[in-house]
Amino acid sequence: MFETLRAIISKTDADYADIRYEILRETRIVLNGAELGEIGSNTTDGYVLRVLKNGGLSTVAFTREIDAEKAIKSALENALLLSRNINEPVVFAPTEAIKGTFLPPLKEDPRGIPIAEKLELTRHYNDIPLKHEGISTTNLQYLEVAREKYFASTEGSEIREDLITTTISGLITSKDGNLIQNVRVGIGGSTGFAILRNREEKFERKTGIALDLLRAKPVGAGVYNVILNPDMAGVFTHEAFGHFSEADLVEDNPTMREKLRIGAKLGNNVLSIIDDPTTPDQLGFYKYDDEGVTARPVQLLRDGILVGRLHSRRTAASFGEPLSGHSIAEDYRFAPIIRMGNIFIQPGTNSFEELLEELGNGLYILDARGGQTSGENFTFGAQYAYRVKNGKLGEMIRDINISGNLYLTMQNITAIGNDLMLSETGGCGKGQTNIRSCMGGPHILVKSVVIGGA
Amino acid sequence: MEELLEIARKASDQVEVYSLDQTADSVSFENAKLKDIDSKLQSGISLRIIKEGKLGFAFTRNLISGEEFLQNALDSLKGGVEAGFDLPATRDLAQLDTYNPAIESLTNTTIVDECNRICEMLAPRTNGQINVDAGRVTSRMRLLNSNGTDLSSRSSLYYCRTAIMYPGSYSSISRLVVFKHFEETPDEHLNFILHTYNKSLKEVSPRGGKMKVLFLPDTIYGLIWRLQSATNGKNIYEKKSPVSEKLGQEIFDRQLTIYNDPLNDDIPGARSFDDEGTPCRYFPVVENGVLKNFYYDLHYADKLKASPTGHGFRSAMWGGDSIATKPTPSLDHLFIKPGDKSLSELIKSIDRGIVIAGVLGAHSGNIPNGDFSMGLSPGLYVEKGEIVGNVKDAMVAGNVYEVMKNVLAIEDTLYPAMMGTFPAILFDSVSVATKS
Repeated sequence: MFETLRAIISKTDADYADIRYEILRETRIVLNGAELGEIGSNTTDGYVLRVLKNGGLSTVAFTREIDAEKAIKSALENALLLSRNINEPVVFAPTEAIKGTFLPPLKEDPRGIPIAEKLELTRHYNDIPLKHEGISTTNLQYLEVAREKYFASTEGSEIREDLITTTISGLITSKDGNLIQNVRVGIGGSTGFAILRNREEKFERKTGIALDLLRAKPVGAGVYNVILNPDMAGVFTHEAFGHFSEADLVEDNPTMREKLRIGAKLGNNVLSIIDDPTTPDQLGFYKYDDEGVTARPVQLLRDGILVGRLHSRRTAASFGEPLSGHSIAEDYRFAPIIRMGNIFIQPGTNSFEELLEELGNGLYILDARGGQTSGENFTFGAQYAYRVKNGKLGEMIRDINISGNLYLTMQNITAIGNDLMLSETGGCGKGQTNIRSCMGGPHILVKSVVIGGA
Repeated sequence: MEELLEIARKASDQVEVYSLDQTADSVSFENAKLKDIDSKLQSGISLRIIKEGKLGFAFTRNLISGEEFLQNALDSLKGGVEAGFDLPATRDLAQLDTYNPAIESLTNTTIVDECNRICEMLAPRTNGQINVDAGRVTSRMRLLNSNGTDLSSRSSLYYCRTAIMYPGSYSSISRLVVFKHFEETPDEHLNFILHTYNKSLKEVSPRGGKMKVLFLPDTIYGLIWRLQSATNGKNIYEKKSPVSEKLGQEIFDRQLTIYNDPLNDDIPGARSFDDEGTPCRYFPVVENGVLKNFYYDLHYADKLKASPTGHGFRSAMWGGDSIATKPTPSLDHLFIKPGDKSLSELIKSIDRGIVIAGVLGAHSGNIPNGDFSMGLSPGLYVEKGEIVGNVKDAMVAGNVYEVMKNVLAIEDTLYPAMMGTFPAILFDSVSVATKS
């Protein structure tokens, strides 16, 4: 393979070029209620060529080898058009040329397991909610994505890495008259098929929540003090803070760049956040990013102070900050962009009981259902919550969506639990989807959060 | 493709071959400066076969061996996905005007020049950060099946979104234009962005509570998403719709008429047939507030003993890959009938309320139940008919089956937006939560 790739980049008259070829093998099983909606394995492939010439950086994604010449021509034209129209030429931070292969160790390689067995396991979990009368349906998906990546650059890098992600995830829907409630469920990771086995407890617990939600009361709009569970803490960290650690999002936004300068005091003293794709056995693991840079842990926030940022080669050079190996593409259809790998709030010292006691009165909010940020402001949903009175858990409530200002909220995180948990499934959308986006944290206490109510 | 159809026909009862070739160029300007130019040249083929009532599905980017590709589809038959439907025999459809050949001679240089023109026009008149995203997409799709359907569609699209962003955020006032060929963004759009941004620059903290709320076209999708979910044949079949028993009943205000019109080729992306070959037609979802129809693809029409409605599209959310996606019921050409008030008349009629110019978190919350709870990004506060500032840390929430009963007025103009072509809509008594 590398021979073909070398041949393509050697024809590119540029200051720098790289090319990534990927074979993407995807196995998908979809169950809608008891019915099988889809089953099969398919393989697709394609190329992404990047060209840096006279300070202009351009990308062309193409799927047919015969289009390579056309792709080279477009990439060079676009790069020159860029170089004529930009004030500051793009420079790449230097990195060592790597010749290497990384095939992840797997506990049961899913590619070797018959599809019938995958279907049987998915059906087994699907049957857990379906046997309950109040459950109207389920939508459960087995997804196995194997990216076989080949990266070559004119600097001499030649890297082969495989990323294999296996998940079973979806929705459990309950219904009572016209009232419909649903709960997300997901298991999986990047460590092989074994992580999917013996997980009945999770499906049973989530089914119970979907049923309980039919009797839960809607929350009233207002401002509350809250405890977020590790899943919610993870989504907060990823959505509200993490995206603005991605240098490409702030690079050309001077007002945000000013607020997010290294050394700025952004959060409460108790708050420290790290992104570490190199932690083994978690969803977001990788060894090399899609620019051929070795991934490394980046301390982003230490004791409330901004101390690091996630970079591509382009942004590391323009910010004058260290490379971090966080430039990742969804697959062969996309140029790499800066992505979090595995971001989490570092655990503190409080037990959950201590957090409840400190909260006194407020809400205990659990399990995220999607979030979004506009920089300063963020909104995200939760699947359910409990009222807390005098440090004691009370009735279940529903329709929880929270909104806040990033900087105020980071100041308002006043206590951190000692029980770190990382997510098993991902799906961050930033133009492209990153199914390996891992996030987490311990339980955290947050003061004055706006809740939209119902 | 014909060859693939032939060999697949021998191994199964019915065959469908779908192919798509796409080229795309995108240009982005951040802070009024050129940032990126990317291109894509992508093609692929997707195969569905039906044998003894079961469905097989396969897709590929590069068709090297037809036999091997067919084998993939045959393998997936073993899973036992039901297919009770017949592929349609569709011919002699009306030709739509979906492709303007002028798109071929549009260069990235012209797009860059247009973005520069927009930035130069706006920059001296605002302190806000200017971002512009523009580009073009051309695509050619073909659909063949063993029942004699051989349809193709060629389309061209030029788009340009201009935004002025509030300091310290990605929250913005923006407008999108779409054409089948290159056209400059008209001044009226740029003036709207400038005027609205400059008027709302001051940060204000009004009290929350129930108030008049004007959803601008770009935010209507937060509401429409719930209706799409509730009228989708798949969700009717799976008993996930709160309106499954309400056909013919008034579910919204009488001023609201919401329809799918794939045949309207004034805007890009018109289609005379869906991705399964079923003819498309004008299709009311809600007419004068009354729920008229649920929409189906072949599969769910069969399941519910209904007729296919021409809504089987390979639409994939979050930038998914249409080659890798089976057709599913999808409203891809939605419109809301315009009303009779101009945008400025609508704003003038608000004594105290919020104009929502962008929403965050439309995808979270209990969509099937019709609930929404979205962050305002931005929300513009209006007093005595004038925009007086922008509101931070605020949310709008409710249930579409309550909120959409309280329409005060609808704008007289439609704009391309997320999920359809919509006007601004003014609602009464919507819950807004703020920090004060």
